Amino acid sequence: MSNASSTSALVVRAPRRNLLPKTLGPAMPALILLFLFFVLPVVSLLLRSVLEPEPGLSNYATLLGSETYLRIFLNTFLVSALVTVLSLLIGFPVAWTLAIMPAHWSRIVFAILLLSMWTNLLARTYAWMVLLQRTGIVNKTLMNLGLIDQPLTLVNNLVGVTIGMVYIMLPFIILPLYGVIRRIDPAILQAASLCGATRWQSLWRVLVPLAAPGMAAGALMVFVMSLGYFVTPALLGGTSNMMLAELIAQFVQSLVNWGMGSAAAFVLLVVTLALYALQLKLFGTSQMGGR
Amino acid sequence: MLLHFERLGSWKWVLVGITALTTAFLLLPILFIAALSFGSSQWLIFPPPSWTLRWYREFFADPRWIEAAWTSFKIAALVTVFSVGIGLCASFALVRGRFKGREALKALFLTPMILPVVVLAVALYAFFLRLGLNGTVTGFVIAHLVVALPFSILAITNALEGFDKSIEDAAVLCGASPLEAKFRVTLPAIGHGLFSAAIFSFLTSWDEVVLAIFMASPTLQTLPVRIWTTLRQDLTPVIASASTLLVLFTILLMMLVALVRKGFKS
Repeated sequence: MSNASSTSALVVRAPRRNLLPKTLGPAMPALILLFLFFVLPVVSLLLRSVLEPEPGLSNYATLLGSETYLRIFLNTFLVSALVTVLSLLIGFPVAWTLAIMPAHWSRIVFAILLLSMWTNLLARTYAWMVLLQRTGIVNKTLMNLGLIDQPLTLVNNLVGVTIGMVYIMLPFIILPLYGVIRRIDPAILQAASLCGATRWQSLWRVLVPLAAPGMAAGALMVFVMSLGYFVTPALLGGTSNMMLAELIAQFVQSLVNWGMGSAAAFVLLVVTLALYALQLKLFGTSQMGGR
Repeated sequence: MLLHFERLGSWKWVLVGITALTTAFLLLPILFIAALSFGSSQWLIFPPPSWTLRWYREFFADPRWIEAAWTSFKIAALVTVFSVGIGLCASFALVRGRFKGREALKALFLTPMILPVVVLAVALYAFFLRLGLNGTVTGFVIAHLVVALPFSILAITNALEGFDKSIEDAAVLCGASPLEAKFRVTLPAIGHGLFSAAIFSFLTSWDEVVLAIFMASPTLQTLPVRIWTTLRQDLTPVIASASTLLVLFTILLMMLVALVRKGFKS
């Protein structure tokens, strides 16, 4: 079998070899662009973290030694973890339903998922700023239902950030999970129930384990995206609940402290790349991507 | 049984309920903003006391909004052209080239997609300070091109990998020059990939906020930057009308994509 396919591959490939461009010439414009405006700026930014104000690791010592900055790191990790768990808890049943529901229904859900994903990020964040404000419709509804007496503070804190981020991240977990569940053979679950498994047993011991690689890949992607998110935390979180990306922007824009700003950027970069490396190692390149 | 919709029993309604609530959660904020953009309340009271077009009039009467929208469009159009052109060349090298480090090159090309945008924004801001490119259209286009290019390369390499090269070779054997064969045989065949690349590139630039905040100057702002700076001051309903226009634009683009996809299939 493998022998036959490799011979046929040889047969097909042999006459072609002469026609193939052997150089990476056509890739040059992209390569030059990325080298000049991606690699070079990022590397020189990172160099500033160890060179400014004087050579050494003093920026990192300050960053990791101060309680204020550690709280920002902690905030960032906690919010990202919470957003990931919530997106997964909501996303799994939705992806599952989408994978099996009649096509005319799932088409509507898909259209709404895509609409939400494609709607401008600021427009979506603005919607939540309005919905969650003290006199907003969420507080009003809760008060009318008699669930609360005083309006809750839902913006300018991490509650608002979490709600806004889950809203943005949900499609990123639902779509890949849908693909994974779609590929599971329904016969396996039929077999489980024929062998006497209850529905809960089939869920926990068959469906969830089979979907687990997709869940892990989606969750990791959402977690990493959340770690570096700037717009939504900045608008819904307010200044007292800063997250890492805002800290970087603040160092550079308001404080003009390039040493500290690039040190914080480097921490974010290392964590992000480490998590992506982990994902590549665990699941290969197929799950990579997303905006 | 869990993967047969009709045989889920009582679970069916639980799942459908969760899905319906989630869909509502995703859709309602967008509808809410659209409704508020026609509401008369300055303080965004819902339901609005009465209906008005005042916020749309304010949007269109303010040259700063119009100018920002036009700047966004110009930058996104330029990014689209460069992204598809450069992406197409790079994709040919990635799919057909036989050189060492092809996989590494592809990984490099896709890295801007996974790098936190704020890191790139700060890095480019510092770099452009030296080159004097902050607050220029060139600066905006370069910054957006870096993040749009990976989407373009992904879409075009996908299409190119699905295209059987022997068809192009056949054209060459029949007397077409290699370049002619590429333009008249290969490019039309991967048209759907080029189209996706263009749409993704355009939207990436059009919607991009973080890089734009750093590249912008008081005199050169894109629409997202204008919304951002206004949002930081107050929640004026004019933003609701701007957002609604953006949503409409998105829906139009989505319909265009659906139409073109249908066209490519038939």
